[in-house]
Amino acid sequence: MIRIPRLVDQMRRDASDLDNHVIDEFAAGRLDRRGLLREGARFGMAMPLLGGLLGTLDPFGIGVARAQAGKADATIRVAATVPSGAIEPVTVANTGGIVMLAQVGEFLAVDGPDLVLRPGLALSWKPNEDGSVWTFKLRPGVKFHSGKTMNADDVVATMDRLSNPKNGSNALSAFRGVLSLGGAKKIDDLTVEFHLDAPNGNFPYYVSSDNYNAIILQADYAGDFEKTFNGTGPFKLEKYTAKVGASFVRNPDYWGSKALPARTEFSFFTDLQPQILALQGGQVDVLGQISVQGGQGILNDPDVKILKIRASTHRQLHMNITQPKFADKRVRQAIAMTLDRVGLVAGLFRGLGEQGNDSPFAPVFPSTDLSVPQRKKDIAKAKELMAAAGAGGGFEATLTTERYQEIPDYAVLVQNAVAEIGIKLNLKIEDQGAYYGSAHPGTSDWLDSEMGITDYGHRGVPNVLLAAPLLSTGSWNSAHFKNPTYDKLVGQYVAATDLQVQRGIAHDIQTLLLDETPVIFAYFYNYLVATSAAVSGVQSSAISQLYLQNATIS
Amino acid sequence: MVGRRLALSLLTLLLLSIVVFAGAQLLPGDVGRAILGPLADPAAVASLNHQLGADRPMVVMYADWIGHFVIGDMGQSYQFRSPVAPFIGNALLNSLKLAAVAFVIVVPLSIGAGVWAAMRVGTWIDRAVSVGGLSLTVIPEFVSSILLILVLGVWLRWLPISAATRAGSSFGVQLQHLILPSLPLVVVLFGYIARMARAGTLEALDADYTRTAVLKGLPHRTVIFRHVLRNALLPTITVVATQLGYMIGGLVVVESLFRYQGIGSLILAAARGKDFPMMEAGILTVGAIVVLTTLVADVLYTVLDPRLRAGGGR
Repeated sequence: MIRIPRLVDQMRRDASDLDNHVIDEFAAGRLDRRGLLREGARFGMAMPLLGGLLGTLDPFGIGVARAQAGKADATIRVAATVPSGAIEPVTVANTGGIVMLAQVGEFLAVDGPDLVLRPGLALSWKPNEDGSVWTFKLRPGVKFHSGKTMNADDVVATMDRLSNPKNGSNALSAFRGVLSLGGAKKIDDLTVEFHLDAPNGNFPYYVSSDNYNAIILQADYAGDFEKTFNGTGPFKLEKYTAKVGASFVRNPDYWGSKALPARTEFSFFTDLQPQILALQGGQVDVLGQISVQGGQGILNDPDVKILKIRASTHRQLHMNITQPKFADKRVRQAIAMTLDRVGLVAGLFRGLGEQGNDSPFAPVFPSTDLSVPQRKKDIAKAKELMAAAGAGGGFEATLTTERYQEIPDYAVLVQNAVAEIGIKLNLKIEDQGAYYGSAHPGTSDWLDSEMGITDYGHRGVPNVLLAAPLLSTGSWNSAHFKNPTYDKLVGQYVAATDLQVQRGIAHDIQTLLLDETPVIFAYFYNYLVATSAAVSGVQSSAISQLYLQNATIS
Repeated sequence: MVGRRLALSLLTLLLLSIVVFAGAQLLPGDVGRAILGPLADPAAVASLNHQLGADRPMVVMYADWIGHFVIGDMGQSYQFRSPVAPFIGNALLNSLKLAAVAFVIVVPLSIGAGVWAAMRVGTWIDRAVSVGGLSLTVIPEFVSSILLILVLGVWLRWLPISAATRAGSSFGVQLQHLILPSLPLVVVLFGYIARMARAGTLEALDADYTRTAVLKGLPHRTVIFRHVLRNALLPTITVVATQLGYMIGGLVVVESLFRYQGIGSLILAAARGKDFPMMEAGILTVGAIVVLTTLVADVLYTVLDPRLRAGGGR
């Protein structure tokens, strides 16, 4: 039991039922400090209240970053992946474009590396009783780079733009079934209500930096973002040249603490190797993202700092359960038991990742029930299961996948692993375009293959990962998994607003998926950023958003 | 003759545009999904394809594009939502600059080495040029590029490792940035051109006209420059001309490693992104350069070789 300061007791009197529930959970020891921050932030609890609960609290982490030694007013030089198209917030889906948006754009809330939401352009947010309506209070005095003051009209217009099926919006896949066109309503200049399609306990994540398209734009935005990069962020555009680079300067009118660097300079690269050489040659200070596979040369370089961010990024190894050879769940369980997950994380990621337990619940999610037993390599048990399923003699199958990062290596390791139980896997490794095809059943190797490996990026909450690849109606359901109990549990999980309730449902989902094993989740791996040893204060999310406002060079 | 060659060249380019267009249709996926990502909502993909005009019938798309292209309008990039022409113009200019620097280094160097080796045939110099040149030619560009970057850029820090410079940089700064990226091209082409120059020189040295010139008592220098080199270098000119297409459009690896926005990497990115107008314009531009340089090489060959001129007159 944690002792709550008397001051906080007084503050509880003004708090809502949901706020007090979070405080009760913290006091009962069921929420740790991080959990308190996360839950408090999710329900929009005021930061002074959270600070009071935690004693000396720096809610934004900015104080820590700003305490780093280093020279302010510097120019920070960054190597970034070249944006593959126009910088258009509504459609951007590539790493380079996301990095550019993060320099100037801001979200209603910011999902930090610890998956705790912090206030961004919204100061607070609250759900109604069942989580079907969320009310966001906006930060006053925020100005776009154009000089216009941000208000509720801008927020409503932004959300309408993103949820309109006619706009080619990349956010539509996240908003589908959650927020429809017209769901965002202005209450007053600084209050917006979101009327959801269904109750959703994690809704603030959908309008946070976790949804990289959701930067707030002016209501009269005309689709010409690349001309001015008009956002509200701590940097303003100096110059952007497609396929070459960009530079930004400190925004003197920023609503928060002014950026420490006077200027940032981005050089675009198509490959990682030249970025590493540029860092080693002293021509850039920061690499926005590195992979273990391509970055071996600098992982132990004393002149380079590696920022490691825990993430839910993973690969899904699906087995099409409508195929006779994968119809028996004992076969699927046996295949999952052939994998040495500790070895995979060590071999593919030099230990910079975590084991998966055959569900989308990554260890980094607070709602994940870590008490569910971890599946381990057990060849003897796997052989027993194969024999019991009548497949003791093994069989031949084709594993189709994409040529992307470590996936071809992973496919070979899977091929070797299942050979131990008599399964002969033929590998079909394709270009990404060929693998995904048109993403419709019948025209996509991803959705049509009997077995496949697919890349999935980081999400701040597991909602999308629970739904699209595994629900009976899921549009990414390459395993063709249909289970009414699972569908019901996911519905309950999505609607739950309380972490303990979410964790309880998560336990059931995790257990169900371990038993059914339509998809193998063998590992989740870290997001890595590299900087020169002289650079401090660089922050990043696991979805490529690089934040340089606190960066200094010593 | 030149008029007929020009007409054939235009026909070649037209066929090239049709082949590229048809080939692009065979690539899996579509531009909307390439922009929005493989997991994008189908309604969003369909909407974006419609906005871009990428959902029209193939023949309509091609006819629309070629109709504009022939009047000088390269169209709009699907991915960048802006005119293609400035992208092609900038990338072509960059590629020409890099090719020019490499050309200025490799042509005199390799021809000089080839002639020098032929003049000292059988000596260690000859063997060094022949074997060394051949060995350099087979080193892949990504290997030589990384080695050169590591040695000259990272360890010694003599040369900048990025070919790109800030807008408005002086000629000297641009040249400084282009030296290192041009060296892998020099490595690849040196052996090829030097061996051609050596073989041509040996043949010319052994020719009757050279023996006659020597027996006439002409000075050695005159024999070499007026009789040997003039004949020996004719095949080399053809070789150099045929390499220009590669030097301008085929440097994807070098452009990637040295962060240089040339036309090779522009075409590759367009193909990956299903950006058909950008890809077609880029390939036709490179195709036009190849056709043009081949034509110029043929004309030059004719001008330099009196036998061909006489034959053409008949």
